[in-house]
Amino acid sequence: MASSRDFKRVLPLRTAVSTSAGLASAAINFLACVEIAEYAGGSSAWLALLVAGILIVFAGANFSELNGMYPSSAAIRVWTRRGINDTWSLVMSFVYATTVIFVIAADAFVLGHVFQAALPAIPGLIWIVVLLALVTAVNLRGIRIAGIVQDTNGFLLLATLVIFSLIVLFHAHVPLPAARLFHIGPNWFQAVAVGVFIYVGFEWVTPLAEEFEDSRVIPRGMFIALGLIAVGFGLFSLALTVVFPAASVLKHSLVPQLVLGMRALGPLGFWWMVVVSLTTAMTTFNGGMATASRFVYALARERVLPAKMARLNSYLVPQTALLTLAGGSLGLAIIVYLTGQYVFLINAGAAVESFMYAATAIVVWNLRRREPKTARPFRSWGVPGMSWIIAVVFTLLGIGSLLAPSGEHGFPGPFVFLVLLTMGAYFYVRHVVPKLRASKRSPQRVAPKL
Amino acid sequence: MNVLPVLEEFAAQCNQNERLRKMNRDWSRLIELVATDRNVTYWLRSEQGLITAGMGDVDEADLKISASEDILQEVFSGAVTPTEPYNAGDLLVKGHQDDLMRLDIITLLIWGE
Repeated sequence: MASSRDFKRVLPLRTAVSTSAGLASAAINFLACVEIAEYAGGSSAWLALLVAGILIVFAGANFSELNGMYPSSAAIRVWTRRGINDTWSLVMSFVYATTVIFVIAADAFVLGHVFQAALPAIPGLIWIVVLLALVTAVNLRGIRIAGIVQDTNGFLLLATLVIFSLIVLFHAHVPLPAARLFHIGPNWFQAVAVGVFIYVGFEWVTPLAEEFEDSRVIPRGMFIALGLIAVGFGLFSLALTVVFPAASVLKHSLVPQLVLGMRALGPLGFWWMVVVSLTTAMTTFNGGMATASRFVYALARERVLPAKMARLNSYLVPQTALLTLAGGSLGLAIIVYLTGQYVFLINAGAAVESFMYAATAIVVWNLRRREPKTARPFRSWGVPGMSWIIAVVFTLLGIGSLLAPSGEHGFPGPFVFLVLLTMGAYFYVRHVVPKLRASKRSPQRVAPKL
Repeated sequence: MNVLPVLEEFAAQCNQNERLRKMNRDWSRLIELVATDRNVTYWLRSEQGLITAGMGDVDEADLKISASEDILQEVFSGAVTPTEPYNAGDLLVKGHQDDLMRLDIITLLIWGE
């Protein structure tokens, strides 16, 4: 008779909160805040962030229901497969996985500029190559940054943002009339759309569902993390826009967090922010590569990616998958560094996430109809009415993010890129995957580290 | 249908493979397997590089795998990779992801890609 028994290792709520907050807290968020302030037209950036956060709470409720039904590290792959179909599940999984490359490349870009600002003698590009190579080498040896370091960093970053922002706000002696705080600029919708990017990754705690005994811990963790992110980055945006009412001034600095650190505590604040930027980016690199390489490995084992992507090195790490991801991230980071088009990554990343949030709303509704008897430890709110509202709102936000003004000539690069990426993924799923699935197994060549 | 003979054959294949024995020598784990459609529990134990299989309840498992008996049979006989039913939501797991990955790697080393 099967029964529920205790497991030896159970993760606590603290880990759910820190993982959710930590994965969402990327170094590129600092630049995203500047972009949001620019679209919002000044000091109402915090409000755009808050609105985006409230909308994402509904997305979080949808993730919570799906996660409770199917607590799996394959998360989105499982849910969309059951809630839509296999073809679109694969297309969405491939596109979704690219956001990891976007975020790693974007953080590498930020880190390059942080170090260039701190140590001007060494070009930022060198830092990008060295640090990405270092993280790749560490991952290839199967070493992952200890959970406690990863956990602590999310809290450290958010606490730093709150404290530094409050110091700046209290010392600024700048009047903050309601007209400024609630000013709605002409591109405010885009500000909310890009605001979604600040929270990107909060849901990446769901793949850890198997490690939590009580599946209700994950929804609680995600909602608390969303609140912490909103407070931390909301205050950061407010402090920036108070000190620099014209956000376009900050756009060219590329290191707004260092500027804020300097304003708050002088050189100590500057160097503190350098360290926090470094730890944030390194945990993003490490966590992103480890998670994404396993995802690629799983897809290869499912025979929807070439078998070589499941090849393991002597440390039992999927090295081809890891090196491919690292190469892609490095290539993208170099292109962005040389062109300066980081807004491309932010807007494309925000759009992919918005579309995923829209899709999960539909998946929740579909699964309520298809699998009404499956246990749901957490039930999302207002299904189906709210599901459709959320799906429409996030679809519009995704489109808004793709079409937001970026670049000097107004060319909608993120839109074109995402369309091409989706078409490429669809073509691959329809024409290449069937051949891979039909192929026979071949012996694995691996020499485990003994 | 009883999965136990399949699990015992799986354990035998692991134990005959010297590379797997060495790979698993520090991997001491108790894995609980629940056939959800028949409400029957099996287990696999890895200790000092050797795998043993059995039937019946276990306490304090490191990893719990739940699936229908057909799927458990297909996975542990090598007919499908564990990832295939896992990514379809037909095989659910509770436990550490590293242990799940290790189990997948074992099937990879026995039956190939």
